[in-house]
Amino acid sequence: MTVLEQTKAPVPRPANRRRPSPLGSKWTPYLFLAPAALFILVFQAVPLAQEIYLSFTRTTLLNPTRSTWVGFDNYVRIFSDETFHKTLLTTFIYVVACVVGAVGSGLVIALLLNSGFRGRGVARALITVPWAAPGIAVALIATWMLNSQYGIVNRFLNAIGLGVPGGSILDSPRYALPAILVTTIWQLFPFTSVVLLSALQAVPQDLTEAAKVDGAGRWWTFRAVTWQVIKPAVGLLALLMTIWSLRRFELIWLMTKGGPVGATETLVIDLYSQAFDSKELGRAAAIGMVGVIISFIVITGSRLVARAAEKGDV
Amino acid sequence: MRGLRIGLTARILAVLVVLGLAVFPLYWMVVTALTSNADLFGEDAQLLPDFSEFGVFVDALAEGKAGGWLLNSLLIAVGTTILSVGLGIPLGYALSRFSFRGKAVMTLVLLFTQMLPEALMVVPLFSLFRRFELLDSLIGLVLVNSAFVLPIVALILKGAIDGIPRELEEAARVDGARPFKVLTRVNVPLIAPSIAATAVIAFFHAWNEYVFAVTFIFTPSKQPASVGIANFIGELGTPIQTIMAVAFMFTLPAVAFYLFAQKYVVAGMTAGAVKG
Amino acid sequence: MRQQRVRRGTVTATSIIGIAAILLTGCSGGDDGGSEGGVKNLTFAASTFGDPGRGPLLTQWLDAFNSSQSEVRVTSAAVPYPTFGQTVLTQMGSGQGPDLIRFDMPEFESASDAGLIAPLDDLVDISKYTLLKQPDQFMVHDGVRHGVIFEASNYAMYYNADLIKTPPKTYDEFLNTAKSLTKGDVFGLAFRQTEAEEAGVWQDIFNYVYGFGGAWSDGKTLTINSPKNLEGLQKYKDLFDAKVIPRGADAATFRRMFAEGKVGMELNNGGYVAATRGQNPNLNFSVAPIPFPVRSQGAILAPIVINENSSNKEAAATFIKWALDPANQVKLQEILGASSVATVTERSPEKLKQTPFLTVFDELTESSLPQIVLGFEAKTPDIRKVVVQNVIASLQGKVDLKTALDQAQQQATELVR
Repeated sequence: MTVLEQTKAPVPRPANRRRPSPLGSKWTPYLFLAPAALFILVFQAVPLAQEIYLSFTRTTLLNPTRSTWVGFDNYVRIFSDETFHKTLLTTFIYVVACVVGAVGSGLVIALLLNSGFRGRGVARALITVPWAAPGIAVALIATWMLNSQYGIVNRFLNAIGLGVPGGSILDSPRYALPAILVTTIWQLFPFTSVVLLSALQAVPQDLTEAAKVDGAGRWWTFRAVTWQVIKPAVGLLALLMTIWSLRRFELIWLMTKGGPVGATETLVIDLYSQAFDSKELGRAAAIGMVGVIISFIVITGSRLVARAAEKGDV
Repeated sequence: MRGLRIGLTARILAVLVVLGLAVFPLYWMVVTALTSNADLFGEDAQLLPDFSEFGVFVDALAEGKAGGWLLNSLLIAVGTTILSVGLGIPLGYALSRFSFRGKAVMTLVLLFTQMLPEALMVVPLFSLFRRFELLDSLIGLVLVNSAFVLPIVALILKGAIDGIPRELEEAARVDGARPFKVLTRVNVPLIAPSIAATAVIAFFHAWNEYVFAVTFIFTPSKQPASVGIANFIGELGTPIQTIMAVAFMFTLPAVAFYLFAQKYVVAGMTAGAVKG
Repeated sequence: MRQQRVRRGTVTATSIIGIAAILLTGCSGGDDGGSEGGVKNLTFAASTFGDPGRGPLLTQWLDAFNSSQSEVRVTSAAVPYPTFGQTVLTQMGSGQGPDLIRFDMPEFESASDAGLIAPLDDLVDISKYTLLKQPDQFMVHDGVRHGVIFEASNYAMYYNADLIKTPPKTYDEFLNTAKSLTKGDVFGLAFRQTEAEEAGVWQDIFNYVYGFGGAWSDGKTLTINSPKNLEGLQKYKDLFDAKVIPRGADAATFRRMFAEGKVGMELNNGGYVAATRGQNPNLNFSVAPIPFPVRSQGAILAPIVINENSSNKEAAATFIKWALDPANQVKLQEILGASSVATVTERSPEKLKQTPFLTVFDELTESSLPQIVLGFEAKTPDIRKVVVQNVIASLQGKVDLKTALDQAQQQATELVR
């Protein structure tokens, strides 16, 4: 069924067939944009501008309207702080692991679910449960499951002999971050697998069949055919996952608050802690700005890479 | 022949394992909710729910508050979905079809907004809300949630509209339809899957939102469930069974909404990605 | 045709903007101390309302006030415990917030330091009441009274009377009892030791520091790494190393374990008597003073304050006056359990028969201190974070205790400069 046949658009026939200008009045684009743009301006741009200003001041949460200008002092402070370097590193590890984990597992699962088998509709529906579960519920159940005495994870690990000494996962500097990562990826893989699954369904069957007939190995088929088709989707997912994981807050805050000893402290956690525990809005804003700049670099970088890739292999 | 069968069994097994991992925590919520205190701290783990403890769910609902929370969450989520998708469609269309001054900047700005963490925005938004008297109102939450979700909705829809050949719109315009009518009659039906996908994204975002909800709402009866659950985490003790019961009840509507829309989401998410 | 088109477009745009405007203005929350028909509606934020046991009883106590007169109505504000301080302080800092607030000491100090709390001297005549002096002294800053005690809970040693016939009286007995009880799935002791529970760890280690004669400051300088502190915290670490506690268990978990008889002892405050009973009415437990050399321990002091932003300060004061009335104080104390309230009260013989160890808690009031750093009160959260992080690092074996405390002293001194 072609796209044309799908159209149900009625074709009105006005009395006089004067040819209208192609895009309506000059103001049409702006009318389309205006409500949304106004909206975003008020609720995002204005606060952002305020935050940029705040990052150059010393302001307390208890009196946000009185700010003392300190110039780049906040930025100097955070960059000369060793713990901030650790925070940056932790954030980097977190983001990379999230992206690789979420996209990777999504791909594997999508490949799995792509074959025909009975009940695959149900499987695809069930796979979305983690995505639908609210962050606070996930944090609560994950913390309980990882409870060192009674958590099912520890009981299971002990039963198969892989027990963690003392059972403390969330408060061990070694295992806290992996535990958080596993929980985060658990939340994310439904989204990535669903996207990749539909991307996979766009792979032309005749091409893969032809490759198989020619005796090509599975890996070669994948690289030459499948991968080419799903590359854009993978790229989009990687970008989205990167941006979103730089923002993820609730899960980490509710499970470890950035501990133990800063093992799970990402930029956002540091920001929240600075703003609401230390009540230093200025420093928090500076940390926020660093995060935004990093995101910006990532996004522009990825766009450049994407454009280069497009030119590279057509 | 044999190779295929082993392949199939292995696949089914793998799928079952994956499904198990996906659903297990939810199942565990139910089990924990339905286990007595003595059993929770016993020597061996209780793997099955104890249905004699079903009173937990009844009590949680009977408290009266849980129902109200879920209703508030629903209002906020539906409101956000309608507003963000409603504004996102024209915006996405404009980004796709029109060329105007500042278009490139706008696209960049939209992507940019996705990087802003909520924690960063709470304080400036609080004074903003105060000025517009939006504090302690569900509408306020709808507005701020929509503002955060609108960019991504618009970007996804832009990608979807990009994938629609312009000939269809030309045809409609030749016959005198104005741009807005072109939009509603031609494009919208075609990008229905993407609209459903963005609706789900908007719904989930608003359903789960906590930071703004807890700071901007003062009256207990206006709290959404995301904040309501936090109420159970008390200073003196967290009745884990009740929390798990409420958490489970909080997850269900979101899952239900997704199952309802899922037919379209699968197609919708990639319409933009593959083509755009 | 063209005119019609332009008009339609304009109409659509105008209506969208119009609707937006109506939405924005027509839906004010309207709860900024508003009054309807003369009745002043006030909000009172207290994490106690979220307690499964005491919450409903406290609400009833509030209702007694509401029905006792018809000018002022107080209802509980919606602030959940996990983000209580952050939420309330954000609201107050930005000119809003509940009318009445029950604070924890660190937030109380920050808020009063920033001028967000209304001075009470002109609103309430304190001289009419017999206040408990020891906790009350912390309610006044530089001669200005910022609050009255809502609840004062002293720390003592809870123990399972079935497992322990005679409670330990010295630290060594304490350690040995803990060791002998730890077998199978039972632990001798429990305390908080994770960063996720930073505030709780701070409260727990306070007892060890002051119980061995140490202090966080001398009022003018920080003394985090003083020898006495090192001694006290070493005792704390010894217990951790002896593996007599359920490591990684958070407070909610190990308190339930205690209620189920899986933990022998814990140092906890009076607020927990009711909660423990609620979790297991059949538990045979009792309370004794903490068996450390110096009789000095922490207390959770919770003042009730009036928000400086409130437009109903007089009405709020009416509530506080009602709360300080002797009969209502007794009622409040019964609800709160083993805690003390602002004024000197007498417990009824029936309550004493039910819970003989109430007197243990009451007798500890004279020697209890709030868990703030004297002389640096408003900076307590920052100092707390530094200290707890370093102590936990030492528990985890990353650094020895002396170095940890030296680091904490250095970092904290930097912070408060």
